[in-house]
Amino acid sequence: MRKRVLATMLTAAMAASLFVGCGGAASTDTAATTDSGTETEAAGDTTEAAGSDYHFEIIVKSYQSSYWQAAVTGIEQEAEAKGVTVNCTGPNAESDIADQVNMLNSAINNSPDGIGLAACDQDACLDALQTALDAGIPVVCFDSGIPNAPAGSVVSTVATDNYSAGATAAENLYPALKDQFGNGQVRVGEVNQEATSESIINRGLGFIDKFAELAAKDGFTVAVIGNEKYVNDAKAEKVAEADADIVIEVAVPAQTTVELCATEAAAIMNKSDTIGMFGSNQVAAEGILTANENLDVLGDKILAAGFDAGSVIKSAIKSGTMYGAVTQSPLAMGITTIDVLCDAAAGKSVSDVPTDGYWYNADNMEDESIAPNLYD
Amino acid sequence: MNNKDINKQSILARLGGQKFIVLLVVIVLFAFFSIASEDFRKYTTVLSILDYSYYIVLMSIGVTFPLITGGVDLSIGTGLICYSLAGGYLVVHCGWPTWAGMIVSVLFGVAIGFVNGYLIAVKELPPFLATLCTCMITRGLGSICSKSFGISWPTAGTPGSWFRSIFKFSVGGTKYPLGFLWILLIVAAMAFVLNHTKIGRYTIAIGSNKEAAILSGINVKFYHIMAYVISGFFAGLASIAYSAVFATVQPGTGAGFELEAIGGAIIGGVSATGGAGSIGGALIGVFVICLLKTGLPFVGLQANWQQIITGLVLIAAVLVDIIKKRREAK
Repeated sequence: MRKRVLATMLTAAMAASLFVGCGGAASTDTAATTDSGTETEAAGDTTEAAGSDYHFEIIVKSYQSSYWQAAVTGIEQEAEAKGVTVNCTGPNAESDIADQVNMLNSAINNSPDGIGLAACDQDACLDALQTALDAGIPVVCFDSGIPNAPAGSVVSTVATDNYSAGATAAENLYPALKDQFGNGQVRVGEVNQEATSESIINRGLGFIDKFAELAAKDGFTVAVIGNEKYVNDAKAEKVAEADADIVIEVAVPAQTTVELCATEAAAIMNKSDTIGMFGSNQVAAEGILTANENLDVLGDKILAAGFDAGSVIKSAIKSGTMYGAVTQSPLAMGITTIDVLCDAAAGKSVSDVPTDGYWYNADNMEDESIAPNLYD
Repeated sequence: MNNKDINKQSILARLGGQKFIVLLVVIVLFAFFSIASEDFRKYTTVLSILDYSYYIVLMSIGVTFPLITGGVDLSIGTGLICYSLAGGYLVVHCGWPTWAGMIVSVLFGVAIGFVNGYLIAVKELPPFLATLCTCMITRGLGSICSKSFGISWPTAGTPGSWFRSIFKFSVGGTKYPLGFLWILLIVAAMAFVLNHTKIGRYTIAIGSNKEAAILSGINVKFYHIMAYVISGFFAGLASIAYSAVFATVQPGTGAGFELEAIGGAIIGGVSATGGAGSIGGALIGVFVICLLKTGLPFVGLQANWQQIITGLVLIAAVLVDIIKKRREAK
């Protein structure tokens, strides 16, 4: 009897692990294909000349935020216009790095004419990229680059210069806080949803470095504390916390959820000397806003800068709760990615394409140059 | 027969005992964080802990029923997100009134709970497998319902946002955690249901000895299904709490929420093999997890350490109980 129970349980566990193993991929496939026909069929009869029957595999970081949905919309629009087929997938969460590597490997096995990849992790994809190179499949990275990619595997990177986009946030937040420097130590918090992807790391570092640079110009000293990755990689001259005029405290949650970002943000926003906050993507910025629900300190005691858009951040900026934010152009990024993939598949030489990050606040968010980038 | 009586008594004694120990753990943790960080001892921190606990407590109350039958419900985490996306989509994009969206969320939960119960009680699928499958199904369904877009239920100050004040009520700038009152009432009600009604007693009977329950004429299939329907119903309620506390609900998330709820219930005294459990215990057990989640960042611990410490504290909480049980057995 015992044995039978044990056997049943083991069988169940084995079967279950089978399901878990493919769970991530399977369900995002559903997520992807439901999105107004991600499997954009190449209308064979259309006369779109660019038309070749290229097929591209696109892997986004996740469908967790409307930012990615905007990027996928751009990809689909352009694929339809060019008459190529794309298949978009992505893991459930941006922290599901292993899932994404699996998706990349299966994408390579499908031998597409090109792969568009927004990597969750700078290093996890290196082996797969070598395989793609050996198979002669060009890879275009978008949103996040892969600095250590095997030479020749990544033919182009279409991405916001995240470092300078992070710096843009610092350039705009610094002047607003400047008057409070020098009268005793003050604190500026930064919430980054993780410390593994190129885009988030560079935004975080760009903010820290620019803020420290501006402070140094005005004769203030800066200490960077918190998450080791950011503390070690920040360029700012290291000053002991006790001696600094400005303390930049960097928090990274255990998982990329709004709730955990909010808890990390609250721990900093609760400190009496905190005067500024920066959230380096939509999840982190919404985490800061969620923490503020109970604390009610944003807008007067603490000025917060965000990143990306979405209806929650937009309405917080409109109401003055959030000071401003940096937005990218995900739609344009998606369109450019397909253009570059088509060129690469046709054997044309391609190069990196930087896209822009723009500062927006309550004053300019309706402007014609800004509004189209502020997705809901 | 005699033996069985003694066993029964010690189970009851243990339950009270474990609840007490876990309550002590909660108090010790709270005291520790309060001493270690002056920012932690603020009213707003308590408010946040309560805010972020409602959805886990509600899931935990519901999942206690399948756990007592000796099963489990893994679909509540992704289910919660799915129900919230479905209800939210109708409210935000189809112009439905907020209350109707909330009802849809709950009914969706009940429906998935029924599917779980049917697969397990009638088709005799192992609970682990059946609910793992509905976990995957709800994750996909959630994305379909919202067309893969995040949903923001009406935000505070906009029309239709009244439901947010069910959980947090502001009077003259001060916020009151009204939700905690509802949680206490629900805990009391469900503790009564578990211990003094047919549904509850039969749930326990199924968990302690299913054969005996069948032989004594209980409609085991029906009550077994009901255990999962209750779990689904509470996942639906939890989805409302989640929508009310957090600004946006993102498709593809939710996996892992169920583990916090199940972990809370087990810390609170649900027997891992079924047949015994306590709703009040689940409430206290969840607070161990919530306190750790909120408290550790306040004492300056980095993310990786937070996870390690949470794991260690959970092991300790369970170990204390096992050691105590051994002593009692001697």
